[in-house]
Amino acid sequence: MSTDTTERHLADEAARRAGALDRSLIEAGLDPLVTIAPDGKIIDVNNAAEKVTGRSLQQLIGTDFSDYFTDPGKARAGYEQMFREGLIKDYELQIRHRDGHVTPVLYNAWVYRHEAGDVIGVFAARDISERKRAEEEIRKLNEGLERRVRERTAELQATNTELEAFTYSVSHDLRSPLRHIDGFSKLLLEEYSADLPEDARRHLSRIRDATRRMGMMVDDLLNLTRLGRKELSMQLTGLSSLLEEAIGDLQPEMAGREIEWRIGKLPFVECDPALVKQVFADLLSNALKFTRPQEHAVIEVGETTQDGRAVIFVRDNGVGFNMKYVDKLFGVFQRLHRPEDFEGTGIGLATVQRIVHKHGGRVWAEGELNKGAAFYFTLEAVESRPGESNSSPGGAA
Amino acid sequence: MIRQDVEILLVEDNADDVELTLHALHQERLANHIEVVRDGEEALDFLFCRGPYAHRSFEQAPRVVLLDLKLPKVDGMEVLREIKKDPRTRAIPVVILTASREESDMANGYHLGANGYVQKPVDFDSFRNVVKHLGLYWLVVNEPPPPAAFQAK
Repeated sequence: MSTDTTERHLADEAARRAGALDRSLIEAGLDPLVTIAPDGKIIDVNNAAEKVTGRSLQQLIGTDFSDYFTDPGKARAGYEQMFREGLIKDYELQIRHRDGHVTPVLYNAWVYRHEAGDVIGVFAARDISERKRAEEEIRKLNEGLERRVRERTAELQATNTELEAFTYSVSHDLRSPLRHIDGFSKLLLEEYSADLPEDARRHLSRIRDATRRMGMMVDDLLNLTRLGRKELSMQLTGLSSLLEEAIGDLQPEMAGREIEWRIGKLPFVECDPALVKQVFADLLSNALKFTRPQEHAVIEVGETTQDGRAVIFVRDNGVGFNMKYVDKLFGVFQRLHRPEDFEGTGIGLATVQRIVHKHGGRVWAEGELNKGAAFYFTLEAVESRPGESNSSPGGAA
Repeated sequence: MIRQDVEILLVEDNADDVELTLHALHQERLANHIEVVRDGEEALDFLFCRGPYAHRSFEQAPRVVLLDLKLPKVDGMEVLREIKKDPRTRAIPVVILTASREESDMANGYHLGANGYVQKPVDFDSFRNVVKHLGLYWLVVNEPPPPAAFQAK
C-alpha cells in the first residue's frame, strides 16, 4: 500500500467517522430537522421529523417539503425566502401528522453549501405546542376575567342605581309625614297655646326643631342622590370665576365679620362648572363656619402641584380638626362638632367628594385642632393653563 | 248668588295633607268653596261632570286645580293629560302641588301643559306661605279664563 493510498484511506475513514458523528448528533436532536434542495424536495430528515409527520425517512425523501404543513403556500414561501436571503428565523408553521394531528412549530433555517458546491437548506423546527397551549390558556383566562369584570361592573352599576333609586324614594316618602308632624305641632302651638303649660310648649318646639332638622337631612340626601344620577356637562371653565361666584353667594354669611381672603391664581379646567362651583361653595361655607370663633379669619384658595398634577386647595385658620377623625370627614351625615357649636347636617363634604369623584379626581384634607384645616382636590381632567388673572372677591370685610 | 261655584279643586289622597292645606287656606280666608277629591278618578269625574258630579256643567270650572301626583287609581300625570287633552277642560289652570322635586316629574308636568309646579315644603310655615301665595295668585290676581276659552275650536 503506498503512502498516498494509505493517507486517502485514513482521510476517508475520518470523513466517514465524522459523518457518522454528524448523523448521530442530528438523530439525537429532539427537534425535527429536515434538509431540502433548492426545489423544495426533501433530501434528509431525522428521527424527530419522522415522528412528527408520521412518515418514514424513505417515504419523505424526494417529496416536497411544503406537503407536510397545514399551509403549504406559507411553507414554500418560507424556504424560498431562506434560499433567497440565506436564513429565516422563527418562521411559524404547522406540521400535519399523517393521522391529522397538527403541531405548531417555529422554524429556523439556513442555507448550507456542500464542499461539492451543492446548496441545501437545513430546517430546524421547534415544537411550540406547549407555548401555544399556554397562550391559549392565558387568552381564555383573560377573556374570562374580562367577562367577569364586565359582569361585576354591570352588577355594581345596577346595585348602585337601585340603591340610589331606593334612597331617593325613601327620602321622598319621608318628607310627607315630616310635613304633617311639623304642621300639626305648629297648629297645636298656635291654636292651643293658651291652654298649654310652658313645658308642653317647649316640648312642642323641640319636636318642630327635630322635624326641621330631619327635613333638611332628607333634602340633603335627595340632592346627593340627584347628584349621583346627574350626567356631567363638561366645558372649559376658569376656576377663578367659579370661585368668585361662590364667594358672592356666601356674602350673607360674612356679614359683620373680619375675613382676609388670600386668593391665588387658579387654572382653566375641563369640568362641569355648576358642580365645581358647588365644591367651592361647600368648602368655603365650611371655612367661613369654622373660622367664626376667630377674630381675624384667614381663608386661602389657590393652586399647587403634587406629582406634576394640579391641586386646588382651600385653607383656613379656623377650629380645624383632629387628624384621627380625618376618615370621617367625607361621610354622609358625619359631623365632628356638636350642633350647638356649628350648625349643619354633615352633607357638604360628602357632596364635595361625590362631585370630585364624578370628575375622576381626588379630595383629601389636612387639619390640626385649633390650628385650621386645609382641603385639597384634583379634577382628573385638570389641564392647568396659566394666564388667568387673579380675581378679587369683592366685598369681603 | 244662590250656589257658589267651586273655586279650588284640591286633588289630594293624603288626609293629613288635605287638612293642613284646608287649614292654611281658611286661615288666610282665601277660599270659601273648596272641593276635595281623593283620587284621580274622582278628579276626572268632577272636571268632566260625570258620575256623582253629573249635575255639574263645564261652565262651572274651578279657578284652579291643585293636583298631587301620587294618587290612587288614576295618577296625577294622567289626570293632567286628560284635562289638557280635552278642549272643554284645557283652559282650567292646573298647578301641580307635590312632594316630588324629581326633574322628570317637572318636565313631564310642564310638557303636558301644567300651569305651575310647586313642591310642598316640609316646614309648615313655608307650606302655609306657599298655599297662601297660590290662593292669592289664582283667586285674586289672576283673571280666570272666559267662557269662550272652554269651547272647542
